[in-house]
Amino acid sequence: MRIKARFIRSLRRRWASFFRTPFACLLRLFVGRMLHGSGDSGPGDLDVGVGVMLILLAMPGLLVSLLTFEKYGHLILFLRGGRPFNPFTATVPDEYFFIVLSLAVSGAAALWRWDSLFLDRRDFTNLVPLPVPLRTVFLANLCSILFLTALFTFVANAASVVLFPIAVVGSQGSLSVFLRFAVGHFMGVLAASLFSCFAVFALTGLLMALVPAAAFRRISHLVRFLLAVGLFALLVSSFAVPQLLSELPIPVAHQFALLPPFSFLGLTRTIWGSAGDPFIPEMRRAAITALALALFIAILAYAASFRRSFLRIPEMPDSGPLPRSPVSLSLLSPILNLVLRIQPQRACYQFAARTLLRSESHLQILLGFLALGLVLAVNALTSAPDLHSLITGKLPSVDVLSVPFILSFCLVAGVRFAFEVPSQLPANWVFRLWLDRDRHDARNTAVLILLAFSLSWLLPLCFFVTLAFWGSPIAILHTFVVAVSTIALVELSLLRFRKQPFACSYPPFKSHSGLLVLGYLFGFILFAGTLVELEHWSLQDPWRVLCFVPIWAAAMAGVHFYRKQMLDMDKQLLFDELPASGFW
Amino acid sequence: MLGYLGPNGSGKSTTVKMLTGLLEPSSGQVLYDGQDIHTDLAAYRKRLGYVPEEAHLYPYLTGQEYLDMVATLRAMPPARKKKTVAGLLRLFSLWPHRHVNMGSYSKGMRQRILLIAALMDNPDILIFDEPLSGLDVTSTLIIKNLIQALSERGKAIFYCSHILEVVEKVCSHLIILRKGQVIAHGATTDVREQIGKSSLEGVFLQLVAEGDVAQVANEIAAVVVSS
Repeated sequence: MRIKARFIRSLRRRWASFFRTPFACLLRLFVGRMLHGSGDSGPGDLDVGVGVMLILLAMPGLLVSLLTFEKYGHLILFLRGGRPFNPFTATVPDEYFFIVLSLAVSGAAALWRWDSLFLDRRDFTNLVPLPVPLRTVFLANLCSILFLTALFTFVANAASVVLFPIAVVGSQGSLSVFLRFAVGHFMGVLAASLFSCFAVFALTGLLMALVPAAAFRRISHLVRFLLAVGLFALLVSSFAVPQLLSELPIPVAHQFALLPPFSFLGLTRTIWGSAGDPFIPEMRRAAITALALALFIAILAYAASFRRSFLRIPEMPDSGPLPRSPVSLSLLSPILNLVLRIQPQRACYQFAARTLLRSESHLQILLGFLALGLVLAVNALTSAPDLHSLITGKLPSVDVLSVPFILSFCLVAGVRFAFEVPSQLPANWVFRLWLDRDRHDARNTAVLILLAFSLSWLLPLCFFVTLAFWGSPIAILHTFVVAVSTIALVELSLLRFRKQPFACSYPPFKSHSGLLVLGYLFGFILFAGTLVELEHWSLQDPWRVLCFVPIWAAAMAGVHFYRKQMLDMDKQLLFDELPASGFW
Repeated sequence: MLGYLGPNGSGKSTTVKMLTGLLEPSSGQVLYDGQDIHTDLAAYRKRLGYVPEEAHLYPYLTGQEYLDMVATLRAMPPARKKKTVAGLLRLFSLWPHRHVNMGSYSKGMRQRILLIAALMDNPDILIFDEPLSGLDVTSTLIIKNLIQALSERGKAIFYCSHILEVVEKVCSHLIILRKGQVIAHGATTDVREQIGKSSLEGVFLQLVAEGDVAQVANEIAAVVVSS
């Protein structure tokens, strides 16, 4: 007893003394920076808080695991009259989905923290003048990256590691079967998560090490966008891919199965005891090789980027916002002057449009939603049994019709979400000073921005593509329906909006994240599902399209009357105060 | 106590980066006690206090947390760290705000945090790059007197600033820089006498200004009024 107490005391002492070392101090600092993001704009930035971030990471695994109870629950199977099944073969498609989900969620989290993974100018200014060896800084940041990887992996998979085995084999009453199943599942999702995080770190490090700093900032957004598209595509296609592979010739299918994320199934199936299949060991080897390679490249790239980027920070000019886009907004000036007749509205529009295109965090949000939209649109097109039938019918199918609706919804939702994230809150005095709270209506500016970022390019595209395959009447009607639906969506999304976009602190996820996600989901189903089916029905007889007129009129009238009954006080332009700070 | 003056782009910040060991000179050496600082950079930095021009701080750390971190990285003994940090926070009027995230600090508060971080380990050399930026009148007066007091206690101070009046008042020696070249150096009074001007502002204008400042000001006023 006394020895145990002494051991615990010594352990505490050692921990306390480690806690005071520069290494532990830097480790805490870097982990904090990665969790909070690297933004310097203070409160109200894209930082949603550690708690919310972890909940968002854990949610997909938890929801999908709960759904498996409905599929594999013993009682439900009994009530359905289902026969006993072999969990190690029947659950392979679901296991693949969990592996892809784990890979996508961890990869998305790493992409989210892309900017704060590696040391930056602020770290350099604060830490390098201090008497700390550079190797301590190097190692502390490396360890914090590894810690972050472990955290993402744990949080993204914690729910599924417990709930999925319970759902599938919990009722079989055999501990050994349960453990075998759980460990196999754990190994698969763990490897997928680690691979995903390391691959993102490797890519970031390689880009930083190989590309000049100015070019890195330009390329960084494109790479992140492409990665996000890839992750969404993997996730969306996860149910179709096993079927697709089974239809391919065996040598070709084997080649695909050796690539991540399929190869991680080899790890799971080895533990599940399905190793009788001679191809499983090959998949396992491929999975381990991929993971080791990702880790090796990540560490190598990190070391190279530390040497090339971090140590050369004083030689490089301070980086401001993203460089100007070669596409000038002044080209649209004549149209804008026509629509926005009041001078302050024009200024607010220019500010909002430029913020969306040049501010890193806002562009990141917009590209994330666009990536989701593109993947969902492609998925809608490829879900048809015969791709040729998509363009040969008399009328466009529901899948084809849904494409502009999906893109429009994602863009409107993305821009609307981005409006809530402030850009340099201390700079909003310029609007507070010159905008009249009672007279200026920020809603008009917001409507125009939303329409400019969605309809301005979607409508011509939609019209000409439909015209090419189905002729002018269908093209006109389809374009009309997309236009009025998007305008109604924009109006509804700005129902209570009374802020200058980006100039007000109101972090949306902090207050009602769950409700917001549900709202987006419900809105998507209604807009890109129900509405599209209604349009498909109406296109069979052009006169039926007129049914959209009362729907649209009702929506607009609803918005109008709702705003009319609002108190004047609730219509006033809103500016949140900065958090109180003392003055000397 | 050395004042370092020069217009924008003259090379002041580059010199500061080299003196702090952030940047290695492409030629020449930075010597301290007759030894190149890069031979034992950690030991040199232990004796160095530095206030950078830009207050790049971690917005999610509180003032107390940041100072604790700097003290730990400087390997200060815990007891001394606690006493010094608390004492300086009180003297710099930051004690009530010590548990507030620095993201919501004003510019002056951030600047004071940087000053505490530079002074807390009793450094022998102090490098100040625009240390009065964002401070109010009282704080400015305190810092000016503090710099003189530290100088009297044997600290070597390198003071880089645009505010000529402060440099003139607090610095015993000065260097004036233009386009990377030293164009005047020596004791402040000697430099003034050499140039034949009664104030440092006159000296600076004579040596550095590229045009007639009064004329430029008049032209700006004319544009403003006519627009």
